[in-house]
Amino acid sequence: MSANLSPPTASETILELQHVTKRYGGLPAVDDVSFAVQRGEVLGVIGPNGAGKSTMVSLIGGSAAPTSGKVLFQGQAINTLPPHRRAHLGIGRTFQLTQPFTGLDIRENVMVGAFFGRRGLSRSQALHVADEVLARVGLAHKATLKGDQLTVADRKRLEVARALAMDPRILLLDEVMAGLTPAEVTDAIELIRSINRDGVTVLVVEHIVRAIASVSDRVLVLHHGRKIAEDTPDTVLSDPKVIEAYLGERYAKQKQAEKDPAQPASEWMEGLA
Amino acid sequence: MQPIVDWLLLGSFYAAVALGFSLVWGIMNIINLAHGVFIITGAYIAYQVATNLHLSPFLALFFSMGMLFALGWIIQYGIINRVIRGPLLVTFLLTFGLELLLTDTLQNLFTSDNRFINSTIEGAGINLGSAHISLVRFISAAIAIVLTAALAAFLSRTRLGNAILATGMDRDAARLMGIDIRQIYALTFAISAALAGAAGALLGQMQAFYPTRGELFTLRSFAIVVLGGLGTPWAVVAGGMVFAFIETFLPVVLPRVGVGYENAVAFAVFVIVLLVRPTGLFGKAFYSQ
Amino acid sequence: MPRETSSTASNSPVAGSGPASGDATTTRAGRGWLWSLLGGLVILGGIAAIPTLGSDTLTSNWTIITMYIVLAQSWNFIGGFTGYSAFGNVTFFGIGAYAVAVSFLSNPKVISPYDPQRPQQFFIGLLAGVVISAIFAFLIGLPTLRLKGHYFAIATLGTSVAVEEIVTQRDVAGSGGLASPPFPPLSLHIAFYYGFVALALVCLLLTTWLARSKFGYALVAIRENEQAAQTLGIATTWYKVGAYVLSAIPTAIAGGIYAYYSSGFEPATVFTSSISVTMVLVTFLGGSGTVLGPIIGAIIFEYASQQFALSSGQATSVFGYHFGSDTLLGVAIIIVAIALPQGLVRVVQEFTRRPVAGGAGASGNSRANQFVEGVRRVRKFIAANGI
Ligand SMILES: Nc1ncnc2c1ncn2[C@@H]1O[C@H](COP(=O)(O)OP(=O)(O)O)[C@@H](O)[C@H]1O
Ligand SMILES: [Mg+2]
Repeated sequence: MSANLSPPTASETILELQHVTKRYGGLPAVDDVSFAVQRGEVLGVIGPNGAGKSTMVSLIGGSAAPTSGKVLFQGQAINTLPPHRRAHLGIGRTFQLTQPFTGLDIRENVMVGAFFGRRGLSRSQALHVADEVLARVGLAHKATLKGDQLTVADRKRLEVARALAMDPRILLLDEVMAGLTPAEVTDAIELIRSINRDGVTVLVVEHIVRAIASVSDRVLVLHHGRKIAEDTPDTVLSDPKVIEAYLGERYAKQKQAEKDPAQPASEWMEGLA
Repeated sequence: MQPIVDWLLLGSFYAAVALGFSLVWGIMNIINLAHGVFIITGAYIAYQVATNLHLSPFLALFFSMGMLFALGWIIQYGIINRVIRGPLLVTFLLTFGLELLLTDTLQNLFTSDNRFINSTIEGAGINLGSAHISLVRFISAAIAIVLTAALAAFLSRTRLGNAILATGMDRDAARLMGIDIRQIYALTFAISAALAGAAGALLGQMQAFYPTRGELFTLRSFAIVVLGGLGTPWAVVAGGMVFAFIETFLPVVLPRVGVGYENAVAFAVFVIVLLVRPTGLFGKAFYSQ
Repeated sequence: MPRETSSTASNSPVAGSGPASGDATTTRAGRGWLWSLLGGLVILGGIAAIPTLGSDTLTSNWTIITMYIVLAQSWNFIGGFTGYSAFGNVTFFGIGAYAVAVSFLSNPKVISPYDPQRPQQFFIGLLAGVVISAIFAFLIGLPTLRLKGHYFAIATLGTSVAVEEIVTQRDVAGSGGLASPPFPPLSLHIAFYYGFVALALVCLLLTTWLARSKFGYALVAIRENEQAAQTLGIATTWYKVGAYVLSAIPTAIAGGIYAYYSSGFEPATVFTSSISVTMVLVTFLGGSGTVLGPIIGAIIFEYASQQFALSSGQATSVFGYHFGSDTLLGVAIIIVAIALPQGLVRVVQEFTRRPVAGGAGASGNSRANQFVEGVRRVRKFIAANGI
């Protein structure tokens, strides 16, 4: 369809949500949300705790089914497909509450992603992929530890590594920077950029506004399950509606935090919570 | 008319059967496979007391409750607490071991002959229109409802009951609040066993029993709790009513699936309910006030 | 909620709490699987040699031990590798037994016990048992494997109780399910023995394959975290059902061989939950999810219970679950659940594990120190489940 396939200029929709609603016992966690993700872009998603961000990731990844609405991936409706089918289509996701295979070591954890997320890899090829990915996310030296022996930050890295090993077309990152130190946040941002440079579309859910603003092409804001803004980072962050609904008085706090580099990122992340 | 009376009385009795099972499951996330044999043990104790001390079986019920309370406390404090953080399979296996041990002990003590507690008010009853209400069954049903109400009040009104609920909701938070988890668990299990003991004393006056009869009551308890959900003690009454309804009226609808298929019926009921509504017909996920 | 292990995480090999599934995968990495396979072959070789000692009692005792090895090995597929608490695998055993009985009964034309058609009836029955069990496991597994934890456990337990009741009520193979088919006397009694040994060998090879194959990785991933497994592209439903069917088939064959061996049985003997639970117990005793665990556990437990039955002066009946042996089983379960929930194989692994070089836990190199360290680790390992 499109003559030019290079990511920055081609605007081809890879993922689309159409009027998606998810209710848990009457209350909507995601409420009539529609948006489209273009191939090759980094879309940031922000919103206060309980805004429905994780639920939305699950609706795309398939661990939850929408109450109504449609999820389209590369033009195909996927909202009735089980998670493993979506994985095979090229959707990789991480969990905010990390979900390691506790009894397997880190290398095997990642290897499972390559073994089952891709087609036709042998055991040793999958292990080889695992080693590459571990080096990329900075976990290589912990490859022999067990899944439950990691720090919070390393568990997040493991989540990313496993999803990355699947060689996804779109990567859904659910708060992978929460709990990282500012230096680690910088590394994480660099990692996301490099993944994106390799042609992977990224949807990044985050609390840390600074991180989102610097890495995203566009930002989408959820509040009480509704989409209240969707635009470039600068526009969104100066949108009075967003400031009022989400940042509010805490915005000042954040500015303050940015002036004080000694304060860990997680501190003001918590302030936003 | 008669089937409706039978159904209501049986449903109430079933609430007593599953009450303790539901408590232990809801608070400690343990499926107590020995629950059925606790009931049978209660029946034997009531039988012994009623026969040897010439007491009314309804008074013997208190002996059953007391002895099973002690037994439950010892089992939880001495054994189950040691594995409670292990995988589900381990506690499941452990309670099955207890079931085997208790059943075998009952068999050695009392043989596998059928027993029945002869009540002094055996045969007495009231006629209500076309229906006959046996006094034994009526008192049993009343006791079952009183026990349910007592458990509900204990959990929501007393400090100890609140501590049990708090532990059930979040063990670690409860510990931080200064609650001694081991004691609370032992108490919960003891109460559950005492309730089983009461159910046994009632059972013995209504049906013949023998040591291996327990398995059926474990299975029924499971079906009842699945039907009612793990919400509150009253959810057990709801589950008991639904289960008794199925047992009472199924033979009317399907005459060939009457006697002899009790286990299969209990099993079919809970599998169907689980698949259709995993949280039970009325239930919430956990015990709550 | 996640435990902070920060700076020590990289050099402390000891997890704070013994994970439920522990080192289940030790056999997966490196050459561990080869040693396990060799160990298993040596044990089965030893068992195969027992009849040459010429003691009939010994041979018949070990027939039953070997049968339990097979049952535990097959339970290991669904319970150990996949982590689904199947408490009703005896259903397949019973189905296998009744298929053979019905097969013999269904051919009334054959009257003479020496009729050459007879052995054929046995194999037809065996095959029927396998097919019916596999289909049954598939049909039951598809809905019930959606259930988790307790729900699955009790659903499977209920299956066996319900099937027993139906077999009894429908008078399968005889009034009340009492089956005494006209089995021809087998001149080669030892055939049962080697039937079970061969089956155990097949299961050993299957387990070793599973410990290394893609299929096995899928099962272990499901056990460790089903949600993550799905998200990474594992078709969990099909793998689970596959494991369940895989676990049903050898169990059904064992049931079929047992039917002939016993020469007469009733629903209560071939559908008893005690057999289901013994499968679980011995696998736990040895180490579930390991290659050697079910073999070692079955040998230890069955041997011990036979000795117990002998010393207490009771007749060793094949399924002597009438007097005393249920007590033994109950006591054994309590001991294993409290002291050895991770299984013997993992306790040995824990004991012999060398601390990472330079790690905080390494105190000296002397044998005595290593021993003390090992004991300390094991004690911690064992106490991990209590509060
Ligand atoms: N499985 C669930 N059951 C019931 N309610 C849920 C479930 N998952 C999420 N919710 C509710 O949906 C809302 C959105 O949650 P979530 O998507 O986790 O928000 P966020 O990730 O933005 O913090 C919250 O109110 C939460 O309580
Ligand atoms: Mg979230």
